Amino acid sequence: MTPGIFFEFAKRSIRLHWLRSTLAIIGIVIGVAAIASMGMLGNSLVLSISDSLSDVGDSIVIYSHGGISQGPSSSTVNDKITKRMLKDIVRASGSNDVIPIYNTADKIIVGSEDGIASVYGLETEDSTLILNMEEGQYLRSSAGALAGSRIAEEYDLKVGSRIKLGGDNLRIVGILEERGMGFDINPDSAIIVTDKFFSSKYDQEDYNFVIVKVRDITDIEDVKDSINTKINRKEDVVDVFDTKAILESLLDAFGQISMFTTAIGGISLVVAGVSIFNIQMMSVTERIKEIGIIRSIGTKKNEVLKMFLYEALILGLFGALVGALFSFIAGFGVLMLMLDSTTYLFEPSTLVYIPYGMAFGIVTSLVSGFYPAWKAANLNPIEALRFE
Amino acid sequence: MPVIQLENVSRIYKMPFGDVVALNNVSLSIDEGDFIAIMGPSGSGKSTLLNMVGSLDVPTTGKLYINGTDVSTLTDDELTDLRRDTIGFIFQQFNLIPLLTVRENVEYPYILKYRKNDTEGRCDELIRYMGLTESLSHHKPNELSGGQQQRVAIARALVNDPKILLCDEPTGNLDSKTGIQVMELLKSLNEEGKTIIMVTHDAHIADYAKRSITIEDGEIQ
Repeated sequence: MTPGIFFEFAKRSIRLHWLRSTLAIIGIVIGVAAIASMGMLGNSLVLSISDSLSDVGDSIVIYSHGGISQGPSSSTVNDKITKRMLKDIVRASGSNDVIPIYNTADKIIVGSEDGIASVYGLETEDSTLILNMEEGQYLRSSAGALAGSRIAEEYDLKVGSRIKLGGDNLRIVGILEERGMGFDINPDSAIIVTDKFFSSKYDQEDYNFVIVKVRDITDIEDVKDSINTKINRKEDVVDVFDTKAILESLLDAFGQISMFTTAIGGISLVVAGVSIFNIQMMSVTERIKEIGIIRSIGTKKNEVLKMFLYEALILGLFGALVGALFSFIAGFGVLMLMLDSTTYLFEPSTLVYIPYGMAFGIVTSLVSGFYPAWKAANLNPIEALRFE
Repeated sequence: MPVIQLENVSRIYKMPFGDVVALNNVSLSIDEGDFIAIMGPSGSGKSTLLNMVGSLDVPTTGKLYINGTDVSTLTDDELTDLRRDTIGFIFQQFNLIPLLTVRENVEYPYILKYRKNDTEGRCDELIRYMGLTESLSHHKPNELSGGQQQRVAIARALVNDPKILLCDEPTGNLDSKTGIQVMELLKSLNEEGKTIIMVTHDAHIADYAKRSITIEDGEIQ
């Protein structure tokens, strides 16, 4: 059993030098709070992004080679997917749903307002596969159109509203649920029409791109390979992207950013470690005589070591606890500000950064406190006693 | 059996400018119940001898037995245990621990030895025996007079009931009246059976001892 007396020594020494102990604790608080809140923030952002993207993780998007659209919402398409290529894709995709898509942008007039909107042309039966309705119904006839959630808000569209798309009258039959940014289609700020309407209005037979919805997400590589081998046999005819890979590389990048910011937090912990080292060295130097006394009346080396390590531990523990509290408050505040929601803060994968940061803080204190403690333990008792 | 025995003990310090011989071939035997004064000018080697007997230092050559144990065979921890259990230190400057109260100072070596607090009342008994009042127990050492501090130090030295008391100029920082009181206390402890080894350069103080030896240039005269 370790007698509490050594802990008592540490406690009293800290209390006696409360000002410099407080300063050292503040250093640890800053370090722990920096690490933990950066980690929490990064993780919350990754969670929020992957949440808004994960529903597209099961798609393969196929463009004609050379006809790749630049960026998620632009639609500069040079080459298109022909009906023949589509047939090959359907054959290569097995039982998975293949959804050919027309895409352009056109002028939209609602009452007195006008603007440019993205336009998607879908086969009526396909719209149920990749779109979710907020209200109204799916497309049935060429005179109907669906409005994305954002565009509906912007132009105050309701089921039954009339719009003019490129000069033609359309009636809104349904409003879509908000979907967030996607790698396949971005219907939030788009008008969705039937394929028949699209191809007759814009005089376009070939598709802009094709989406394959993979039922079992583990098959995604197989389907990709199958399409590649079937169609790109001699030369590259199509480019095949799987949204899962795009998603993963994006999350990877975010992970690296949050790791980087956490590392910056780590620097402040190093500074805190230096200050702990400094005050522990002071504590040892001031108490050389005392160390000589306790050694001469029967205190062992490792007991002296323990006594001084306790000091560093108390500083580290205090700093870690207060730092944890601060990082939670800071994380809460920043997330409230950035995401308008703190639900991601309470995810275990976010909260785990608090004990993480605390552990770093405590370990830093102990590591910084070790050399001074070792030095104290190995003082020559005779010389220490003689020290004035 | 002598409680302390030195056989041809030398202590040589290695210095950059050459070896310094602090003790030169000293042989000394101290029996249980003895009260011995070690005298000599400063630099004579009497502090080295006291450190040696207090198992803070070990001989460079020769044999030193404390309570029958050859100290050259002991590790640092075993030497520390020896100090804790068989030797009580009384210093010129009292050397109480400033962070601890009077009672805690007395209790400290007890906790080191028994790994628990004193629940038998031994500390309070010793504090009373030293003529200190109960109310002083909770004060810090720096709130006490020199004489009171030295009494606390003696109580601390006695708490583990050691065979040997080592006193390094025990009255050096006290006025003569208080000094006499402390010496009377040591004398009565000796009469109760404690072996006392005392370093002093005051001949009046040395008179309290049963015998005295003088060291000069590292040798007993």
